[in-house]
Amino acid sequence: MRLKELVAKEWEEVFKIRLVLFSSLFMPLLLAGLAAYLVWQGRNLPQEAIGAQVALFNTALMYFMVLPVMIPVTIAVYSIVGEKEQGTLEPLLATPISDWELFLGKALAAILPALALTWGVFGLFLAAVWVMLGGVPGMVLSAPWLLSLLLLSPLLALLGVLVTMLVSSRTTDPRAAYQFSGLAVVPALVPLIVYSARQAAVNLFLVGLEGGLLLAVDLAAFWLAVRLFRREEILTRWK
Amino acid sequence: MIRTQGLTRRFGDLVAVEDLSLEVREGEIVALLGPNGAGKTTTVRMLAALLAPTGGQAQVAGFDVAREPQAVRRHVGVLTETPGLYRRLSAWRNLEFFARLYGVRDPRPNIERYLVLLGLWERRGDPVGTLSKGMRQKLALARALLHEPAVLLLDEPTSGLDPESARSVREFIQELAGERRAVLLCTHNLPEAERLCSRIALLKTRLIALGNPEELKGQLFGTKVLVKLANPKPDFLQGISLPFVKEARLEGPTLAMRVEEPERHNPILIRRLVELGAEIQYVTQEERTLEDVYLELVEGEDEA
Ligand SMILES: Nc1ncnc2c1ncn2[C@@H]1O[C@H](COP(=O)(O)OP(=O)(O)OP(=O)(O)O)[C@@H](O)[C@H]1O
Ligand SMILES: [Mg+2]
Repeated sequence: MRLKELVAKEWEEVFKIRLVLFSSLFMPLLLAGLAAYLVWQGRNLPQEAIGAQVALFNTALMYFMVLPVMIPVTIAVYSIVGEKEQGTLEPLLATPISDWELFLGKALAAILPALALTWGVFGLFLAAVWVMLGGVPGMVLSAPWLLSLLLLSPLLALLGVLVTMLVSSRTTDPRAAYQFSGLAVVPALVPLIVYSARQAAVNLFLVGLEGGLLLAVDLAAFWLAVRLFRREEILTRWK
Repeated sequence: MIRTQGLTRRFGDLVAVEDLSLEVREGEIVALLGPNGAGKTTTVRMLAALLAPTGGQAQVAGFDVAREPQAVRRHVGVLTETPGLYRRLSAWRNLEFFARLYGVRDPRPNIERYLVLLGLWERRGDPVGTLSKGMRQKLALARALLHEPAVLLLDEPTSGLDPESARSVREFIQELAGERRAVLLCTHNLPEAERLCSRIALLKTRLIALGNPEELKGQLFGTKVLVKLANPKPDFLQGISLPFVKEARLEGPTLAMRVEEPERHNPILIRRLVELGAEIQYVTQEERTLEDVYLELVEGEDEA
């Protein structure tokens, strides 16, 4: 009940900010469009250019791995730094909301839209590719791709939120928080860049490996973030 | 309603509040007075179960702040030092959100009631960012009341208000106490404390004095009797060297005396003066303000 209230409030507040609206609505559409364009570019390259095709497709997938980090970072930066800047943490903590509800509310308010938007624009992307090419290439509608979207996206979104929570508790400047938290996007980029450089398509091994690594990093960040989200800590240590 | 015993809070090496024992009863308004950094806000935070005490105990609305913090939060209304409202949300939405967090099922009647009482009804749909400082302060006060708490902790409720608003807020607080709530009020405004509060707690890390304003003044200064004479003469001073007169001085036309028990001794004193031929124009009691008391106590503490 309180959780629902908090999440509703977060959305009401944060989507009034233009930058948040921009990065959570315009950016997903833009990146999905670019991804569709890349797939179209690589549609029927000759056999010798298979490496180039793989790189194009990998980059397209990378866009869908960046979104689930970027959106929650943007939302969480404003929902946490905003709370500090407006001095609302104290009245909020004076209510009988539990530390857990606060933590979960902030996390869900950022993760849910991120996943909905990522999956939503991925659907649009598939539709666009289908229209442009008269069908979806097998490399796109493959197990590694779908697993990346279903499994890695939530883990990446969680990472984005947790890193933002850790960073935001230390600053009242949304820009600084944004820049530091943006580093959470690295795990979304590195593996695909490496694979593209080797002209290898994403495979299940990569997805599994990255899933495992993300899970470990998420757990560590979670452990730290939960400790930060205690009343006493928020009131006395957050700057 | 509020009872603390030896309440203490340290931040590392710094002792913010030490050994505070205090009681606020139902229907009573007690002022928490003290210089900057005295520990008023820290005390409020402990009583609101926002900060855990590092020593001692406190019961608020019948619950222990350390053992039953959630119950305490449910029964306490806090006005924090800064209003702390969501600027992009409307006044109404701010109140609704907090009321729901307090578990108020249908907050509408109370939101309406307090918005009207505090003169904010017309502005209910405006984003809080567009309200004046005083309006925000009042809105924050309304927020503290939505769940009808038995205990109110108000941290400088009239700071930043114009005299008229400050007065209406003061009257409002008085009514709230009338509804059998216990109110603890931090303030730097001495006349406000004197007018509003039945008792004053003077805090400077430790509790340095507690009592009603009159008691505090009496305790500290005793009472001075001032007698204005048409014919002041130094001779009168010898004439009144009675055992209960502790101090007597002639200040221009006025004879200023400190006596042990004014109500019993003043008549004797005056009769004596008349016998000596003094022509008495006025007999008054020296007015000491709460400010004198405050400064005396706070500075006294510095020397100690
Ligand atoms: N989170 C904190 N960490 C460290 N020290 C703190 C913290 N909060 C308060 N203090 C210290 O505790 C002391 C009491 O502070 P407090 O805010 O309670 O004073 P106050 O009486 O409310 O002052 P003011 O009249 O300025 O509002 C101060 O020395 C302050 O620096
Ligand atoms: Mg204070």
